Amino acid sequence: MEPIAQYVFVKPWPFWAGGLIIGLLVPLLYYFYNTPLGVSTGYGNLVKMIFPSRHLKWIRSKFADTWSWRVYFIAGIILGGFISSVFAGQAGFTLEMGQFTDAVGWPAIFIALYFFGGGVFLGLGARIAGGCTSGHSIHGIANLHLSSILATVMFLIGGIVAANLVRIVLLGGVG
Amino acid sequence: MGKKIGFLGFGTLFGFALSRVGASDFNLIFGMFTGQDLKLVWVILTAVVVGFIGMRVLRLRAKQTISGQPLKISYKKLGHWSLMGGALFGIGWGLAGACPGTVLAQLGEGKIFALFTFTGMIYGTYIYARLKENNTEL
Repeated sequence: MEPIAQYVFVKPWPFWAGGLIIGLLVPLLYYFYNTPLGVSTGYGNLVKMIFPSRHLKWIRSKFADTWSWRVYFIAGIILGGFISSVFAGQAGFTLEMGQFTDAVGWPAIFIALYFFGGGVFLGLGARIAGGCTSGHSIHGIANLHLSSILATVMFLIGGIVAANLVRIVLLGGVG
Repeated sequence: MGKKIGFLGFGTLFGFALSRVGASDFNLIFGMFTGQDLKLVWVILTAVVVGFIGMRVLRLRAKQTISGQPLKISYKKLGHWSLMGGALFGIGWGLAGACPGTVLAQLGEGKIFALFTFTGMIYGTYIYARLKENNTEL
């Protein structure tokens, strides 16, 4: 492969390359679609596909439209991760989750429950906070929105407390 | 239809960038919170600066969207509930080593446990829909 292609498809990107592409999505999505960058709202669309509880007002609202453009955005991100792993020669299913699966000797079902629990916090928290990393921490701060700056401070506090507790209690302390 | 295809394309670019820079790597997200590896802090800071400059250019030079509409910048409301939600989200971010975007890139990379983070997120969003039924402030 050409050297330039090596840098794009095989070697891990330096921080600035990722920041550049992700940051450019904010003005690009406004320019083309007058739409703020954001991912977590799209999970509302997925909820309606799986729990079609029409008696719930929120499920009937526009936030839970099935097959809206948000679902296509979600599908695209999955596709992007897949393309990345194919070109890097790492495609295929794996039970690896970094230092977590290295350190805990749990049966897979318990690891699955752990990640499911983390996901519940993410899904519930994102909706109550009104956004996630992309909507608040990138789109919101880039537009200097106070609510997004404060939400990001809370994200970081929660993350620092949770990750350090997990590291000390489950991963065998600071090593 | 054009918007859906467009978002599929932009989503693919987003997922590719997240994966290539390592934002879908459990160790980098977890390590950002434990101080083991701060690469993703620099990714987010770069993205914020680029997004800020890009929005300035868009507002001052283009002034409107490609189809000539006035720009409609989305502002999220602030309240004590949104701060509580932020803390809950942060806990999930630290536990799962993923956020709503990066878990999708993890799925694409074939990480089996990301499927459980992903279904947990859908279930968490469903819990929100249930809670909102009786609490309009949420």
